Amino acid sequence: MANIFPRWTNWLPIKILVCVAVVAASVISGMAYYFTPKYTRVGYQPTQPVAFDHSLHVNQLGMDCRYCHTGVEKSSHSNVPGTQTCMNCHTQIKSLSPKLAPIRDSWKTGQPVPWVRIHKAPDYVYFNHSVHVNRGVSCVACHGQVNHMEVVYHAKPHSMGWCLECHRAPQNHLRPLDQITNLDWKPPAGTTQRELGEKFVHDWNVNPPVSCSGCHR
Amino acid sequence: MKRIIEHPSAPANGRTYWRSLGEYARTPDFEEWLHREFPAGAAEWDNDPLSRRSFLRLMGASLALAGLGLSGCRRPEAHLVPFTQTPEWVISGKNMSFATAQPRRRGAVPLLATTFDGRPTKMEGNPLHPASQGASDNHAQASVLDLYDPARRRHLTRSGKKAEVSELEAEINRIRAEAAGNGGASLAILADETLSPTRERLRAELLRQFPQCTWAVYEPLAPGRDLEAAAAAFGTGTEVRPDLSAAKTILAVDCDFLGSDEGDISDTRGFASGRRIRKPGDSSNRLYVAEPRFSLTGTMADHRLRLRAGAVGSFLLELARQVRSLRPNSELNVVLSKSPDLPLPQGVDPAWIRECAADLVAQGNRSLVLVGRRQPAAVQALGYAINAALGNVGTALRVQPRLSAPSTTIQSLSEKIRSNSIRTLILLGGDPVYNAPAELGWANLLASVPNTFHLSPVFNATSAMSTWFIPGTHYLEAWGDALAADGSTLCIQPMIQPLWAGESQLEFLTRWIGQPKPMGPALVRETFSLRTKLGAEKLEQEWNDFVREGFLTNSAGSTSRALNSSGVAALLPNIDSPASSEAGSLEAVFTHSGAVDDGRYANNGWLQEWPDPMTKLTWDNAILLSSKTADSLGLKNEIINGILVADMVKATLGTRTVEAPVVVAPGHADFAVSLPVGYGQDFLGPVAKGAGFDAYALRTTDSDYIAQGLRLERTGKTRQLAVTQEHQVMEGRDLVREAALSEFNQNPGWAKKVGMDAHIPKNQTFYPSPKLTGEHQWAMVVDLSTCTGCNACVTACTAENNIPVVGKDQVMKGREMHWIRVDRYYTGEPEEPEAVSQPVACMQCENAPCETVCPVNATVHNEEGLNVMAYNRCIGTRYCANNCPYKVRRFNFFDYNQRPLDKLYWGPLAPKGTEETLKLQKNPNVTVRMRGVMEKCTFCVQRIEEAKINARVKARDSDNIRIPSGSLQTACQQACPADAIVFGDLKDEQSEVSQLRSLPQNYSLLEYLNVRPRLTYLGRIRNPNPAMPGARTSYVPAHGHEESHGHENSGENQNSEEAHK
Repeated sequence: MANIFPRWTNWLPIKILVCVAVVAASVISGMAYYFTPKYTRVGYQPTQPVAFDHSLHVNQLGMDCRYCHTGVEKSSHSNVPGTQTCMNCHTQIKSLSPKLAPIRDSWKTGQPVPWVRIHKAPDYVYFNHSVHVNRGVSCVACHGQVNHMEVVYHAKPHSMGWCLECHRAPQNHLRPLDQITNLDWKPPAGTTQRELGEKFVHDWNVNPPVSCSGCHR
Repeated sequence: MKRIIEHPSAPANGRTYWRSLGEYARTPDFEEWLHREFPAGAAEWDNDPLSRRSFLRLMGASLALAGLGLSGCRRPEAHLVPFTQTPEWVISGKNMSFATAQPRRRGAVPLLATTFDGRPTKMEGNPLHPASQGASDNHAQASVLDLYDPARRRHLTRSGKKAEVSELEAEINRIRAEAAGNGGASLAILADETLSPTRERLRAELLRQFPQCTWAVYEPLAPGRDLEAAAAAFGTGTEVRPDLSAAKTILAVDCDFLGSDEGDISDTRGFASGRRIRKPGDSSNRLYVAEPRFSLTGTMADHRLRLRAGAVGSFLLELARQVRSLRPNSELNVVLSKSPDLPLPQGVDPAWIRECAADLVAQGNRSLVLVGRRQPAAVQALGYAINAALGNVGTALRVQPRLSAPSTTIQSLSEKIRSNSIRTLILLGGDPVYNAPAELGWANLLASVPNTFHLSPVFNATSAMSTWFIPGTHYLEAWGDALAADGSTLCIQPMIQPLWAGESQLEFLTRWIGQPKPMGPALVRETFSLRTKLGAEKLEQEWNDFVREGFLTNSAGSTSRALNSSGVAALLPNIDSPASSEAGSLEAVFTHSGAVDDGRYANNGWLQEWPDPMTKLTWDNAILLSSKTADSLGLKNEIINGILVADMVKATLGTRTVEAPVVVAPGHADFAVSLPVGYGQDFLGPVAKGAGFDAYALRTTDSDYIAQGLRLERTGKTRQLAVTQEHQVMEGRDLVREAALSEFNQNPGWAKKVGMDAHIPKNQTFYPSPKLTGEHQWAMVVDLSTCTGCNACVTACTAENNIPVVGKDQVMKGREMHWIRVDRYYTGEPEEPEAVSQPVACMQCENAPCETVCPVNATVHNEEGLNVMAYNRCIGTRYCANNCPYKVRRFNFFDYNQRPLDKLYWGPLAPKGTEETLKLQKNPNVTVRMRGVMEKCTFCVQRIEEAKINARVKARDSDNIRIPSGSLQTACQQACPADAIVFGDLKDEQSEVSQLRSLPQNYSLLEYLNVRPRLTYLGRIRNPNPAMPGARTSYVPAHGHEESHGHENSGENQNSEEAHK
């Protein structure tokens, strides 16, 4: 009786195993990379109704974040400015610029400008801006260097693990309260972020919540 | 080794506590029910051809198919929509509170409305107002849901068809011109009672223009006999208001002053202030109650007498004679000179009245006799006379100017309509077609008037029959004012523009007096300036204060009046002899419903699902009767799988009949029945539809409160009723602990050593205790001595924590979602029981049994001692609920927030989504939970976190991040009118909660389990009078051991405060 299995089948189990291993490895590594907020969120850069340039307003004109985002120190929510805030200046400056037409339309009609949302926490996450900016966490820690962005994009992953990195070791991110909105701030020469941070953690009694109820209610 | 905890049963020599008659009798059904985790059918799909297993298979397949398409991978584009012009004060994401008030027929409730981005979400009592001091009740709490009721009509209609405002204007102008000819004789107004000074002003203006016009006021549950009695006793234009805080001995005769109908929030507050016993030697007030049905007030009674409502007159006459003999009084002599000589009601022990009178007299002018406000005027006037004889007028009983202006009654208005002299009828609120006395036949009367206008926030039976229906505003939508029960003027400040094109009563009235539509608060402000008579500059200041603080103190104050004894004496011959009542001819009493009041809240889901404090009935009303009455009529209740299956009866009064279920109510007077009104309104909307029966159908002018000669006949049918009383049973384990005041004085620590708790061995836990390192350690203490069991906390919690309404069908399966429940335990014999209420929420155990069984760590401990739930982690195994000894966890069996309640079982086919308006009510700081998620009380963690954040924001670069004690309240605590719930920080030794936890009468439930609850109770202390016949003076179970034996270990693991201080 001839052999049922030809000779080449001797290698078949090994080949199958190797194939399966390669496929599994690529699926797992693919998911680990593509299915995380690091990939799904970071880099999101939608087109806004008005091409508002943060780098121009902050770096060239020297405006503070809080001129527009007025609620950030008082409320959980950091508000996007109303049309009126834009019109404070743009009735005088660039008052006829075609780029600003949606703003002028909004001002005329009373219909708000539909800014496209970039940073969004899930509904079951209760993030509070005021407690962060009043206790030494700068805007840059979560939003990146918005002052250098011509078009704003999602700079950090905003995943739960990423939040907890800082909540477990706040000293790596704290800075003096007068430097919160200075996104280019570096620890002064001679000190390190860690030294400063540890001092703030001690002096200000900083103990961020790391249990569920801190953010989920 | 597995440690099996044998729950010890209560000692045989102790008193037994029972929650229902089934439990008392230990029926086999009850026993089986008890041993189930969930009611039958709650954990299985027995009425579905699709088994759980095949369902999972199908779901798996569809999930795989859905995955192929990868349709959900793109990020949906969302928009941030700011204001174009930001309004002043608005900070996006922050809530704001404004003072406002809810109008009621007997005095408005001062409130604070919490608004998020312009939508009111939660009502609280106004803490500045002296009467309520921040407390509220279930109707105030639930009123915010009425604002968003999707059943509210959105258009003006004429004969059922949508109409334009211009048509209404033209019609009103035509009628005004027509009425001007006859001085308004053909014009009539029928209004509900709002106690609004501005409405009174507009009424005067209308009457000036149309002097002949008729202005009638009708409130089905406030017939005004208390005013009649006050007029006879203290002169016209007066009314009487009790001050419970000034009374040491109180006798309430058919007066449920702790309930929401007879009482005001300040009454509960005043009563509780006299019962707060902290250490041996503290004094307590004493409450005697004589009443037909077991009411909330009855549960607080130290001595309770079952007395039929029709026998109150003869009871009070005997009491008056006893008071006179103990303290001879000339006024009382005059009063009693013409009194009829009536026999004592059957079954009333004269010694009860004698000893009660002696106790009242002994307190001098610190006693109080309260008589129900719907009792005949003569009976109430006699009550006032007794108070006057006791010297209480001016102390515990205040006489104040009458709040409501005199008006025509609905009866004389009906007479005018019948004589065809009324051509136009304007109905301001109310629903006379539904709730007017039955013999008047309002449906026909209304149809006989050519022009009828009904202004109402809800579309009810009257709206359907009126020519014009004008959608009215909710009180949170329009400016107004109203008087509170203490006479202070409250400002009704709107929180939101009318959701639909609504009009307030004031705005509608201006149309009828030919004034332009008022701008904003113009009308109310004008009234304010006329009443205060201030100059322009001062007025601006005072008006702003009025709007900001929400009230203007009553400057008239209480007047001290002498009793007009001959006026009272003239009324007394009207007191009826107690009719003999028997099985064939029962006495009926029409009571209000604690849930839907007179029916006005019948389309409010929160209130329909609110368990009645005594019967624990939801979504229904029923005829209440005693077990003796039920037995003699051959009627019965059965509990089958936790569902109350009640016999249906045909109730006949005169020529009128209704069909209704009967519920056997322990402690009810024999051969008398109670018929709660307010149900059976199919017109109101989908929530009210099918709930209960309409007791108004039996009610006539002569018998609007007490009716004699009711007949009940079994129909042979039954009705399934949703009761919560046997859900989450904890079963005879010394859960409520009581002592008489004298026992407490001798043995203040009794509550710690009841039953098993005297024998706890040194206990250990297998699992590591959580690290309690937080800045604060939260705890709650509930004082059972002051908790009246009013269930305001249940509604407050529902509003605060986005708790869904699940519907009658789901409640019958034991799936109600309330995070806090109020257990009502009866004790003693079913005929003459006593009752105790005990609010139970999550105990936040330090060694929480739920945490150790969760396979996904969805419920864990935080560093501040809270047992927290992460909903997004929960996979719905329900192991935690299974392992919870207190049965306080609730599971979302369905997407109650997303699916219509009558289509829950349609599964994925059910229409998705909820009414847009209902979403507006949700508290944005609490997750709206979905199907398959476990939930429970969180100690209002959103409020705790907000307070912590505020403290940190304030601290900035300082290290003081502690929340000041007393600055944080949970929703239940804030609502509690008795201040029975205290919440706070154990780490602060000065905080109230720390102080209370260290009291000797503080105990925890199921102490021997060593779960270390953070919610503990102060044992109930009663204050019985040993001289009373049949007085029960011992409440502490006899122990049966020598004091020296077996107690060495007790208390070793009782308090863990030391561990984390």
